[in-house]
Amino acid sequence: MNTCPRCQAAEEKIRAEHKGLNAQGELVWTIFHCNACEFTWRDSEPASTIDYNKREAFFRVDPEKPYPVIMPPAQYK
Amino acid sequence: MSTQKKPLSDKARAVGERIGSLRDFLEFLEENGQCITWTDEILPEPDVRNIAVAAGRDSMNGPAVIFNNITGYPGKKLVLGVHGSFTNLALLLGHPKGTTIKELFYDIISRWGDDKPLLDFIEPDAAPVNENRLSDNFNLYDLLPLYRINEYDGGFYIGKANVVSRDPRDPDNFGKQNVGIYRIQVQAPGEFTLLSVPAHDMGRHIMAAEQDNVPLKIAVMLGNHPAMCMFAATPVGYDESEFSYASQMMGSPLRLTKSNNGMDILADSEMVIEAELMNGVRSFEGPFGEFPGSYSGVRKIPRFKVTAISHRNDPIFENIYIGRGWTEHDTLIGLNTSAPIYAQLTKDFPEVVAVNALYQHGLTGIISVKNRFAGFAKSVAMRALGTPHGTMYLKNLIMVDDDVDPFDLNEVMWALSTRTRAEDTIVIPNMPMIPIDPAAEIAGKGHRLIIDATSFMPPDKLGSDSKIVTPPAGPEIDEIAKLIQLLQNGGQS
Repeated sequence: MNTCPRCQAAEEKIRAEHKGLNAQGELVWTIFHCNACEFTWRDSEPASTIDYNKREAFFRVDPEKPYPVIMPPAQYK
Repeated sequence: MSTQKKPLSDKARAVGERIGSLRDFLEFLEENGQCITWTDEILPEPDVRNIAVAAGRDSMNGPAVIFNNITGYPGKKLVLGVHGSFTNLALLLGHPKGTTIKELFYDIISRWGDDKPLLDFIEPDAAPVNENRLSDNFNLYDLLPLYRINEYDGGFYIGKANVVSRDPRDPDNFGKQNVGIYRIQVQAPGEFTLLSVPAHDMGRHIMAAEQDNVPLKIAVMLGNHPAMCMFAATPVGYDESEFSYASQMMGSPLRLTKSNNGMDILADSEMVIEAELMNGVRSFEGPFGEFPGSYSGVRKIPRFKVTAISHRNDPIFENIYIGRGWTEHDTLIGLNTSAPIYAQLTKDFPEVVAVNALYQHGLTGIISVKNRFAGFAKSVAMRALGTPHGTMYLKNLIMVDDDVDPFDLNEVMWALSTRTRAEDTIVIPNMPMIPIDPAAEIAGKGHRLIIDATSFMPPDKLGSDSKIVTPPAGPEIDEIAKLIQLLQNGGQS
Protein backbone atom coordinates (compact mmCIF):
# COMPACT_ATOMS: atom_id res chain seq x y z
CA MET A 1 0.00 0.00 0.00
CA ASN A 2 1.25 3.46 -0.88
CA THR A 3 1.29 5.59 2.29
CA CYS A 4 3.01 8.90 2.90
CA PRO A 5 6.73 8.40 3.73
CA ARG A 6 6.63 11.40 6.06
CA CYS A 7 3.31 11.30 7.94
CA GLN A 8 2.04 7.80 7.10
CA ALA A 9 -1.25 9.17 5.77
CA ALA A 10 -3.35 6.47 4.13
CA GLU A 11 -3.48 5.81 0.41
CA GLU A 12 -6.65 7.84 -0.19
CA LYS A 13 -4.76 10.99 0.85
CA ILE A 14 -2.03 10.38 -1.75
CA ARG A 15 -2.22 12.02 -5.17
CA ALA A 16 -0.26 10.78 -8.19
CA GLU A 17 1.02 14.06 -9.65
CA HIS A 18 3.03 13.26 -12.71
CA LYS A 19 4.49 10.30 -14.59
CA GLY A 20 8.02 10.60 -15.97
CA LEU A 21 8.57 8.91 -19.31
CA ASN A 22 11.78 8.17 -21.15
CA ALA A 23 12.42 9.09 -24.78
CA GLN A 24 10.72 5.83 -25.84
CA GLY A 25 7.59 6.77 -23.90
CA GLU A 26 8.11 4.16 -21.16
CA LEU A 27 7.24 4.96 -17.55
CA VAL A 28 10.40 5.54 -15.46
CA TRP A 29 9.04 7.12 -12.29
CA THR A 30 5.95 8.70 -10.72
CA ILE A 31 5.70 11.79 -8.51
CA PHE A 32 3.29 11.58 -5.54
CA HIS A 33 1.94 14.24 -3.20
CA CYS A 34 0.39 13.82 0.24
CA ASN A 35 -2.73 15.92 0.80
CA ALA A 36 -2.31 15.62 4.57
CA CYS A 37 1.24 16.95 5.10
CA GLU A 38 2.03 18.28 1.58
CA PHE A 39 5.08 16.04 1.17
CA THR A 40 6.10 15.45 -2.45
CA TRP A 41 8.23 12.52 -3.60
CA ARG A 42 9.29 10.47 -6.58
CA ASP A 43 9.19 6.70 -6.35
CA SER A 44 12.73 6.42 -7.78
CA GLU A 45 14.31 8.29 -4.85
CA PRO A 46 16.68 6.62 -2.34
CA ALA A 47 14.96 4.78 0.52
CA SER A 48 16.48 7.24 3.01
CA THR A 49 14.06 9.82 1.61
CA ILE A 50 10.93 7.82 0.73
CA ASP A 51 10.84 4.90 3.20
CA TYR A 52 9.12 5.90 6.46
CA ASN A 53 11.24 3.50 8.51
CA LYS A 54 14.53 4.50 6.95
CA ARG A 55 13.97 8.26 7.18
CA GLU A 56 15.39 10.09 10.19
CA ALA A 57 12.58 10.21 12.75
CA PHE A 58 13.33 13.90 13.36
CA PHE A 59 11.75 14.73 10.00
CA ARG A 60 8.42 13.05 10.62
CA VAL A 61 5.39 15.32 10.43
CA ASP A 62 2.10 15.01 12.28
CA PRO A 63 -0.38 17.16 10.36
CA GLU A 64 -2.67 17.28 13.39
CA LYS A 65 -0.07 19.14 15.44
CA PRO A 66 0.15 22.93 15.32
CA TYR A 67 2.97 24.28 13.15
CA PRO A 68 4.13 27.91 12.97
CA VAL A 69 2.09 30.00 10.55
CA ILE A 70 3.94 32.63 8.52
CA MET A 71 2.05 35.94 8.45
CA PRO A 72 -1.11 34.40 9.96
CA PRO A 73 -4.06 35.89 8.06
CA ALA A 74 -6.04 36.13 11.33
CA GLN A 75 -3.69 38.84 12.60
CA TYR A 76 -5.24 41.37 10.24
CA LYS A 77 -8.70 41.18 11.74
CA MET B 1 22.51 54.77 -2.66
CA SER B 2 25.73 54.96 -4.65
CA THR B 3 29.45 54.91 -4.06
CA GLN B 4 32.44 56.44 -5.84
CA LYS B 5 31.94 55.62 -9.51
CA LYS B 6 34.68 54.71 -11.92
CA PRO B 7 34.23 54.34 -15.68
CA LEU B 8 34.04 50.71 -16.82
CA SER B 9 37.01 49.21 -18.61
CA ASP B 10 36.65 48.49 -22.33
CA LYS B 11 36.60 44.78 -21.58
CA ALA B 12 33.85 45.17 -18.97
CA ARG B 13 31.82 47.26 -21.38
CA ALA B 14 32.23 44.68 -24.15
CA VAL B 15 31.13 41.83 -21.85
CA GLY B 16 28.16 43.91 -20.65
CA GLU B 17 27.08 44.49 -24.23
CA ARG B 18 27.51 40.85 -25.20
CA ILE B 19 25.56 39.31 -22.30
CA GLY B 20 21.85 39.92 -22.48
CA SER B 21 20.59 36.64 -21.06
CA LEU B 22 21.44 33.41 -19.28
CA ARG B 23 22.10 31.74 -22.67
CA ASP B 24 24.64 34.39 -23.64
CA PHE B 25 26.42 33.98 -20.32
CA LEU B 26 26.55 30.17 -20.53
CA GLU B 27 28.12 30.44 -23.98
CA PHE B 28 30.65 32.94 -22.64
CA LEU B 29 31.47 30.72 -19.63
CA GLU B 30 31.91 27.73 -21.94
CA GLU B 31 34.38 29.64 -24.14
CA ASN B 32 36.37 30.37 -21.00
CA GLY B 33 36.35 26.80 -19.68
CA GLN B 34 33.85 27.67 -16.93
CA CYS B 35 30.81 25.68 -18.06
CA ILE B 36 30.61 21.94 -18.63
CA THR B 37 27.81 19.71 -19.91
CA TRP B 38 26.97 16.47 -18.09
CA THR B 39 25.80 14.18 -20.88
CA ASP B 40 25.66 10.82 -19.04
CA GLU B 41 22.17 9.77 -18.00
CA ILE B 42 21.48 10.59 -14.36
CA LEU B 43 18.57 10.18 -11.95
CA PRO B 44 16.99 13.37 -10.58
CA GLU B 45 17.78 12.08 -7.07
CA PRO B 46 20.39 11.74 -5.74
CA ASP B 47 22.59 12.33 -8.81
CA VAL B 48 21.85 16.02 -9.43
CA ARG B 49 22.60 16.82 -5.77
CA ASN B 50 25.82 14.77 -5.75
CA ILE B 51 27.20 16.39 -8.90
CA ALA B 52 26.19 19.90 -7.78
CA VAL B 53 27.96 19.51 -4.45
CA ALA B 54 31.12 18.14 -6.05
CA ALA B 55 31.22 20.92 -8.67
CA GLY B 56 30.67 23.53 -5.97
CA ARG B 57 33.67 22.53 -3.87
CA ASP B 58 35.99 24.90 -5.70
CA SER B 59 34.58 28.29 -4.79
CA MET B 60 37.26 30.11 -6.79
CA ASN B 61 37.15 28.20 -10.09
CA GLY B 62 34.24 25.73 -10.13
CA PRO B 63 32.26 25.57 -13.39
CA ALA B 64 28.55 25.88 -14.14
CA VAL B 65 27.13 22.44 -14.98
CA ILE B 66 24.47 21.86 -17.64
CA PHE B 67 22.50 18.59 -17.38
CA ASN B 68 20.79 17.41 -20.56
CA ASN B 69 20.12 13.74 -19.87
CA ILE B 70 18.00 13.40 -16.73
CA THR B 71 15.92 10.22 -16.46
CA GLY B 72 12.26 10.99 -17.08
CA TYR B 73 12.99 14.41 -18.52
CA PRO B 74 14.07 13.73 -22.10
CA GLY B 75 15.03 16.89 -23.96
CA LYS B 76 14.95 19.04 -20.81
CA LYS B 77 17.91 21.09 -19.66
CA LEU B 78 18.94 22.06 -16.13
CA VAL B 79 21.87 24.29 -15.16
CA LEU B 80 23.46 24.70 -11.74
CA GLY B 81 26.42 26.69 -10.46
CA VAL B 82 26.11 29.62 -12.88
CA HIS B 83 27.20 31.88 -9.99
CA GLY B 84 29.05 29.06 -8.27
CA SER B 85 32.56 30.47 -8.34
CA PHE B 86 34.28 33.83 -8.06
CA THR B 87 35.87 33.24 -11.46
CA ASN B 88 32.39 33.04 -13.01
CA LEU B 89 31.57 36.39 -11.38
CA ALA B 90 34.92 37.81 -12.54
CA LEU B 91 34.13 36.86 -16.14
CA LEU B 92 30.70 38.48 -15.85
CA LEU B 93 32.35 41.73 -14.77
CA GLY B 94 34.90 41.61 -17.60
CA HIS B 95 37.89 40.39 -15.60
CA PRO B 96 40.30 37.58 -16.40
CA LYS B 97 40.55 34.31 -14.51
CA GLY B 98 42.77 34.74 -11.46
CA THR B 99 41.07 37.96 -10.32
CA THR B 100 41.03 38.08 -6.51
CA ILE B 101 37.91 38.41 -4.38
CA LYS B 102 39.18 41.72 -3.06
CA GLU B 103 39.55 43.08 -6.60
CA LEU B 104 35.98 41.98 -7.38
CA PHE B 105 34.75 43.66 -4.21
CA TYR B 106 36.27 47.01 -5.18
CA ASP B 107 34.96 46.68 -8.73
CA ILE B 108 31.40 46.06 -7.51
CA ILE B 109 31.71 49.00 -5.12
CA SER B 110 32.72 51.24 -8.03
CA ARG B 111 29.60 50.22 -9.99
CA TRP B 112 27.19 50.25 -7.04
CA GLY B 113 23.98 52.25 -7.23
CA ASP B 114 20.74 52.89 -9.08
CA ASP B 115 21.27 56.50 -10.09
CA LYS B 116 22.05 55.67 -13.74
CA PRO B 117 19.61 52.92 -14.73
CA LEU B 118 19.94 51.55 -18.26
CA LEU B 119 16.63 49.96 -19.17
CA ASP B 120 15.18 49.27 -22.62
CA PHE B 121 11.48 48.45 -22.85
CA ILE B 122 10.34 46.20 -25.69
CA GLU B 123 6.89 45.06 -26.79
CA PRO B 124 5.75 41.71 -25.35
CA ASP B 125 5.33 40.25 -28.86
CA ALA B 126 9.01 40.85 -29.58
CA ALA B 127 10.24 39.33 -26.31
CA PRO B 128 11.96 35.92 -26.58
CA VAL B 129 10.37 34.87 -23.27
CA ASN B 130 6.99 34.94 -25.06
CA GLU B 131 7.99 32.50 -27.81
CA ASN B 132 5.63 30.00 -26.17
CA ARG B 133 2.63 30.81 -24.02
CA LEU B 134 0.38 28.55 -21.94
CA SER B 135 -2.89 29.74 -20.48
CA ASP B 136 -4.25 26.54 -18.91
CA ASN B 137 -3.44 22.89 -18.04
CA PHE B 138 -0.28 23.93 -16.24
CA ASN B 139 2.10 21.19 -15.15
CA LEU B 140 5.28 22.46 -13.52
CA TYR B 141 6.42 18.85 -12.97
CA ASP B 142 6.45 18.39 -16.73
CA LEU B 143 7.76 21.80 -17.83
CA LEU B 144 10.73 21.85 -15.43
CA PRO B 145 13.15 19.03 -14.56
CA LEU B 146 12.31 19.31 -10.85
CA TYR B 147 14.16 17.34 -8.16
CA ARG B 148 14.78 17.29 -4.42
CA ILE B 149 17.71 19.58 -3.58
CA ASN B 150 18.53 18.09 -0.13
CA GLU B 151 17.39 14.67 1.02
CA TYR B 152 14.97 15.84 3.74
CA ASP B 153 13.47 18.79 1.87
CA GLY B 154 9.68 18.66 1.97
CA GLY B 155 9.39 18.59 -1.81
CA PHE B 156 10.83 19.89 -5.05
CA TYR B 157 12.09 23.42 -4.83
CA ILE B 158 12.72 26.21 -7.28
CA GLY B 159 15.57 27.93 -5.48
CA LYS B 160 16.79 30.63 -7.83
CA ALA B 161 13.68 32.28 -9.26
CA ASN B 162 13.56 36.07 -9.37
CA VAL B 163 10.06 37.00 -8.26
CA VAL B 164 8.50 40.32 -9.31
CA SER B 165 5.65 41.82 -7.31
CA ARG B 166 4.14 45.28 -7.01
CA ASP B 167 3.07 47.13 -3.89
CA PRO B 168 -0.75 46.68 -3.95
CA ARG B 169 -1.07 50.13 -2.33
CA ASP B 170 1.19 51.85 -4.87
CA PRO B 171 0.98 49.60 -7.94
CA ASP B 172 2.38 52.10 -10.44
CA ASN B 173 5.56 52.83 -8.49
CA PHE B 174 8.46 51.30 -10.45
CA GLY B 175 10.89 51.55 -7.52
CA LYS B 176 8.55 49.82 -5.05
CA GLN B 177 8.07 46.99 -7.52
CA ASN B 178 10.22 44.31 -5.95
CA VAL B 179 12.43 41.64 -7.48
CA GLY B 180 13.54 39.06 -4.94
CA ILE B 181 14.67 35.45 -4.61
CA TYR B 182 12.25 33.48 -2.46
CA ARG B 183 12.21 29.74 -2.07
CA ILE B 184 9.37 28.14 -3.98
CA GLN B 185 8.02 24.65 -3.27
CA VAL B 186 5.89 23.13 -5.98
CA GLN B 187 2.72 21.88 -4.25
CA ALA B 188 0.60 20.79 -7.22
CA PRO B 189 0.99 20.87 -11.02
CA GLY B 190 -0.24 24.48 -11.06
CA GLU B 191 0.30 25.67 -7.46
CA PHE B 192 3.24 26.51 -5.24
CA THR B 193 4.10 27.97 -1.88
CA LEU B 194 6.52 30.89 -1.61
CA LEU B 195 8.31 31.78 1.60
CA SER B 196 8.53 35.43 2.49
CA VAL B 197 8.39 37.10 5.91
CA PRO B 198 7.17 40.56 6.98
CA ALA B 199 10.76 41.90 6.91
CA HIS B 200 11.00 41.14 3.16
CA ASP B 201 9.70 43.58 0.56
CA MET B 202 7.48 40.85 -0.82
CA GLY B 203 6.22 40.00 2.67
CA ARG B 204 4.94 43.57 2.84
CA HIS B 205 3.15 43.10 -0.48
CA ILE B 206 1.48 39.85 0.68
CA MET B 207 0.29 41.40 3.95
CA ALA B 208 -1.05 44.52 2.22
CA ALA B 209 -2.97 42.44 -0.37
CA GLU B 210 -4.57 40.25 2.30
CA GLN B 211 -5.40 43.17 4.59
CA ASP B 212 -7.12 45.05 1.74
CA ASN B 213 -8.45 41.80 0.21
CA VAL B 214 -7.14 42.66 -3.25
CA PRO B 215 -5.38 40.28 -5.65
CA LEU B 216 -1.60 40.05 -5.48
CA LYS B 217 -0.23 39.16 -8.89
CA ILE B 218 3.36 38.10 -9.30
CA ALA B 219 5.74 37.06 -12.07
CA VAL B 220 8.26 34.32 -11.31
CA MET B 221 11.24 34.74 -13.64
CA LEU B 222 13.40 31.65 -14.23
CA GLY B 223 16.74 31.44 -16.04
CA ASN B 224 17.60 35.12 -15.90
CA HIS B 225 20.30 37.56 -16.84
CA PRO B 226 23.15 36.70 -14.42
CA ALA B 227 23.29 40.25 -13.00
CA MET B 228 19.58 40.11 -12.12
CA CYS B 229 20.08 37.12 -9.81
CA MET B 230 22.84 38.95 -7.98
CA PHE B 231 20.59 41.93 -7.23
CA ALA B 232 17.38 40.02 -6.58
CA ALA B 233 19.23 38.67 -3.53
CA THR B 234 20.63 42.04 -2.50
CA PRO B 235 19.03 44.09 0.24
CA VAL B 236 18.54 47.40 -1.62
CA GLY B 237 16.17 50.08 -0.27
CA TYR B 238 12.40 49.42 -0.38
CA ASP B 239 11.81 52.09 -3.03
CA GLU B 240 14.91 51.23 -5.09
CA SER B 241 14.65 49.06 -8.21
CA GLU B 242 16.69 45.89 -8.49
CA PHE B 243 16.39 46.21 -12.30
CA SER B 244 18.14 49.58 -12.09
CA TYR B 245 20.95 48.25 -9.90
CA ALA B 246 21.52 45.24 -12.16
CA SER B 247 21.68 47.34 -15.32
CA GLN B 248 24.02 49.85 -13.74
CA MET B 249 26.35 47.09 -12.61
CA MET B 250 26.59 45.74 -16.16
CA GLY B 251 26.94 49.20 -17.70
CA SER B 252 24.67 48.20 -20.56
CA PRO B 253 20.89 48.10 -20.94
CA LEU B 254 18.69 45.32 -19.58
CA ARG B 255 15.76 44.51 -21.85
CA LEU B 256 12.43 44.61 -20.04
CA THR B 257 8.91 43.87 -21.20
CA LYS B 258 5.49 43.59 -19.55
CA SER B 259 4.05 40.33 -18.31
CA ASN B 260 0.41 39.76 -19.12
CA ASN B 261 -0.46 40.40 -15.47
CA GLY B 262 1.22 43.79 -15.35
CA MET B 263 4.73 43.20 -14.00
CA ASP B 264 7.92 44.45 -15.57
CA ILE B 265 9.89 41.35 -16.49
CA LEU B 266 13.15 40.54 -18.26
CA ALA B 267 12.42 40.05 -21.96
CA ASP B 268 15.16 37.42 -22.35
CA SER B 269 14.47 35.11 -19.40
CA GLU B 270 13.99 31.40 -20.04
CA MET B 271 10.54 31.22 -18.43
CA VAL B 272 8.09 33.46 -16.61
CA ILE B 273 5.36 31.93 -14.44
CA GLU B 274 2.52 34.36 -13.76
CA ALA B 275 0.66 33.62 -10.54
CA GLU B 276 -1.78 35.00 -8.00
CA LEU B 277 -1.78 34.79 -4.21
CA MET B 278 -4.54 32.58 -2.78
CA ASN B 279 -5.60 35.10 -0.13
CA GLY B 280 -5.77 33.70 3.37
CA VAL B 281 -4.56 30.19 2.40
CA ARG B 282 -1.57 28.71 4.27
CA SER B 283 -0.03 25.32 3.39
CA PHE B 284 2.59 23.07 4.93
CA GLU B 285 6.01 23.94 3.56
CA GLY B 286 9.49 22.68 4.29
CA PRO B 287 11.78 21.51 5.63
CA PHE B 288 14.31 23.11 3.31
CA GLY B 289 18.10 22.95 3.59
CA GLU B 290 18.92 26.63 4.04
CA PHE B 291 22.03 28.79 3.77
CA PRO B 292 23.21 28.39 7.39
CA GLY B 293 23.68 24.72 6.46
CA SER B 294 20.71 23.49 8.46
CA TYR B 295 17.13 22.66 7.61
CA SER B 296 14.48 25.21 8.39
CA GLY B 297 11.46 23.38 9.74
CA VAL B 298 7.90 22.80 8.62
CA ARG B 299 5.66 25.87 8.58
CA LYS B 300 2.37 26.95 7.06
CA ILE B 301 2.98 29.61 4.47
CA PRO B 302 1.22 31.55 1.66
CA ARG B 303 0.21 29.67 -1.50
CA PHE B 304 -0.05 30.84 -5.11
CA LYS B 305 -1.97 29.63 -8.16
CA VAL B 306 -0.37 29.72 -11.62
CA THR B 307 -2.36 31.86 -14.08
CA ALA B 308 -0.11 31.73 -17.19
CA ILE B 309 3.34 30.54 -18.28
CA SER B 310 5.58 31.99 -20.99
CA HIS B 311 8.83 30.39 -22.07
CA ARG B 312 11.51 30.43 -24.70
CA ASN B 313 11.97 27.53 -27.09
CA ASP B 314 13.78 24.70 -25.26
CA PRO B 315 13.91 26.57 -21.95
CA ILE B 316 16.82 25.99 -19.58
CA PHE B 317 15.84 25.50 -15.94
CA GLU B 318 18.37 27.33 -13.77
CA ASN B 319 18.49 26.20 -10.15
CA ILE B 320 20.91 26.34 -7.23
CA TYR B 321 22.45 23.94 -4.72
CA ILE B 322 22.09 25.39 -1.25
CA GLY B 323 22.90 23.81 2.11
CA ARG B 324 25.99 23.50 4.22
CA GLY B 325 28.59 25.85 2.75
CA TRP B 326 30.44 26.53 0.66
CA THR B 327 27.61 26.59 -1.89
CA GLU B 328 26.57 28.64 -4.89
CA HIS B 329 24.36 30.67 -2.57
CA ASP B 330 27.47 32.04 -0.80
CA THR B 331 29.14 33.11 -4.04
CA LEU B 332 25.92 34.46 -5.54
CA ILE B 333 25.15 36.91 -2.77
CA GLY B 334 28.41 37.31 -0.83
CA LEU B 335 29.84 40.37 -2.55
CA ASN B 336 26.44 41.98 -2.95
CA THR B 337 25.86 41.51 0.77
CA SER B 338 29.21 43.11 1.56
CA ALA B 339 28.81 46.12 -0.74
CA PRO B 340 25.80 47.86 0.87
CA ILE B 341 27.28 47.43 4.37
CA TYR B 342 30.47 49.06 3.09
CA ALA B 343 28.51 51.88 1.40
CA GLN B 344 26.51 52.57 4.56
CA LEU B 345 29.54 52.44 6.89
CA THR B 346 31.79 54.69 4.82
CA LYS B 347 29.17 57.46 4.92
CA ASP B 348 29.96 57.94 8.62
CA PHE B 349 33.38 56.30 8.81
CA PRO B 350 35.56 56.85 5.73
CA GLU B 351 38.25 54.91 7.62
CA VAL B 352 36.48 51.65 6.65
CA VAL B 353 38.61 49.98 3.96
CA ALA B 354 36.67 46.84 3.05
CA VAL B 355 33.84 44.60 4.28
CA ASN B 356 33.84 40.83 3.88
CA ALA B 357 30.35 39.50 4.65
CA LEU B 358 30.70 36.43 2.42
CA TYR B 359 29.99 33.86 5.09
CA GLN B 360 26.43 32.55 5.29
CA HIS B 361 24.87 35.82 4.13
CA GLY B 362 26.96 37.77 6.64
CA LEU B 363 26.40 35.71 9.79
CA THR B 364 30.13 36.26 10.17
CA GLY B 365 31.62 39.49 8.85
CA ILE B 366 35.17 40.81 8.74
CA ILE B 367 35.68 44.56 8.52
CA SER B 368 38.97 46.21 7.77
CA VAL B 369 39.27 49.71 9.23
CA LYS B 370 41.97 52.31 9.79
CA ASN B 371 42.01 52.64 13.56
CA ARG B 372 41.96 56.29 14.70
CA PHE B 373 42.35 55.70 18.42
CA ALA B 374 42.03 52.88 20.92
CA GLY B 375 38.60 51.29 20.77
CA PHE B 376 37.63 53.02 17.52
CA ALA B 377 37.07 49.74 15.66
CA LYS B 378 34.53 48.69 18.30
CA SER B 379 32.49 51.83 17.59
CA VAL B 380 32.57 51.02 13.88
CA ALA B 381 31.43 47.48 14.70
CA MET B 382 28.45 48.88 16.64
CA ARG B 383 27.55 51.04 13.64
CA ALA B 384 27.74 47.95 11.40
CA LEU B 385 25.23 46.20 13.67
CA GLY B 386 22.89 49.14 13.06
CA THR B 387 22.93 48.88 9.26
CA PRO B 388 19.79 47.36 7.70
CA HIS B 389 21.51 44.05 6.97
CA GLY B 390 23.52 44.12 10.20
CA THR B 391 20.38 44.38 12.30
CA MET B 392 19.43 40.78 11.55
CA TYR B 393 22.48 39.08 10.08
CA LEU B 394 25.86 40.33 11.35
CA LYS B 395 26.17 37.94 14.28
CA ASN B 396 29.95 37.61 14.56
CA LEU B 397 32.11 40.56 13.62
CA ILE B 398 35.88 40.49 13.37
CA MET B 399 37.50 43.91 13.13
CA VAL B 400 40.94 44.08 11.52
CA ASP B 401 43.33 46.89 10.64
CA ASP B 402 43.62 48.51 7.23
CA ASP B 403 46.81 46.51 6.57
CA VAL B 404 44.87 43.24 6.74
CA ASP B 405 42.96 41.99 3.68
CA PRO B 406 39.65 40.82 5.16
CA PHE B 407 39.16 38.47 2.17
CA ASP B 408 42.43 36.64 2.96
CA LEU B 409 41.68 34.38 5.90
CA ASN B 410 45.40 33.72 6.53
CA GLU B 411 45.83 37.43 7.18
CA VAL B 412 42.70 37.57 9.33
CA MET B 413 43.99 34.67 11.43
CA TRP B 414 47.30 36.48 11.83
CA ALA B 415 45.46 39.52 13.17
CA LEU B 416 43.46 37.32 15.53
CA SER B 417 46.64 35.62 16.74
CA THR B 418 48.69 38.73 17.33
CA ARG B 419 46.34 41.64 17.94
CA THR B 420 43.50 40.25 20.01
CA ARG B 421 43.29 40.44 23.76
CA ALA B 422 40.55 38.36 25.34
CA GLU B 423 39.18 41.62 26.75
CA ASP B 424 38.77 42.93 23.19
CA THR B 425 35.84 40.59 22.80
CA ILE B 426 32.31 41.90 23.30
CA VAL B 427 29.20 39.78 23.66
CA ILE B 428 25.90 41.60 23.25
CA PRO B 429 23.16 39.37 24.60
CA ASN B 430 19.58 38.98 23.45
CA MET B 431 19.80 40.67 20.09
CA PRO B 432 17.59 40.10 17.03
CA MET B 433 18.67 37.21 14.85
CA ILE B 434 17.44 35.52 11.74
CA PRO B 435 14.99 32.80 12.79
CA ILE B 436 16.79 30.06 10.83
CA ASP B 437 20.14 30.52 12.55
CA PRO B 438 20.75 27.17 14.26
CA ALA B 439 22.77 28.98 16.97
CA ALA B 440 19.86 31.18 18.08
CA GLU B 441 18.85 31.04 21.75
CA ILE B 442 15.28 30.95 20.59
CA ALA B 443 14.28 31.40 16.95
CA GLY B 444 14.75 35.07 16.13
CA LYS B 445 16.83 36.02 19.17
CA GLY B 446 20.42 35.42 20.23
CA HIS B 447 23.78 36.92 21.07
CA ARG B 448 26.21 38.97 19.03
CA LEU B 449 29.98 38.76 19.14
CA ILE B 450 32.51 41.45 18.28
CA ILE B 451 36.20 40.54 18.21
CA ASP B 452 38.44 43.58 17.96
CA ALA B 453 41.59 42.28 16.26
CA THR B 454 42.95 45.71 15.41
CA SER B 455 46.32 46.86 16.74
CA PHE B 456 46.85 48.84 19.89
CA MET B 457 46.55 52.63 19.67
CA PRO B 458 47.09 55.40 22.20
CA PRO B 459 46.09 55.66 24.99
CA ASP B 460 46.63 51.88 24.87
CA LYS B 461 50.00 50.91 26.30
CA LEU B 462 49.91 47.21 25.63
CA GLY B 463 52.11 45.94 22.87
CA SER B 464 53.76 49.29 22.31
CA ASP B 465 57.26 47.77 22.33
CA SER B 466 56.59 45.36 19.50
CA LYS B 467 57.22 46.41 15.95
CA ILE B 468 55.48 44.74 13.04
CA VAL B 469 57.54 43.35 10.18
CA THR B 470 56.42 45.08 6.99
CA PRO B 471 56.93 42.65 4.14
CA PRO B 472 56.64 44.16 0.65
CA ALA B 473 52.98 44.62 -0.28
CA GLY B 474 50.77 46.50 -2.74
CA PRO B 475 49.88 46.35 -6.43
CA GLU B 476 53.45 45.57 -7.50
CA ILE B 477 53.59 42.43 -5.33
CA ASP B 478 50.06 41.46 -6.40
CA GLU B 479 51.23 41.58 -10.02
CA ILE B 480 54.28 39.43 -9.24
CA ALA B 481 52.04 36.88 -7.49
CA LYS B 482 49.84 36.69 -10.59
CA LEU B 483 52.87 36.33 -12.82
CA ILE B 484 54.11 33.43 -10.71
CA GLN B 485 50.70 31.78 -11.05
CA LEU B 486 50.88 32.30 -14.81
CA LEU B 487 54.37 30.79 -15.01
CA GLN B 488 53.22 27.85 -12.91
CA ASN B 489 50.35 27.23 -15.32
CA GLY B 490 52.71 27.18 -18.28
CA GLY B 491 51.72 30.63 -19.46
CA GLN B 492 47.98 29.85 -19.39
CA SER B 493 45.82 31.98 -17.12
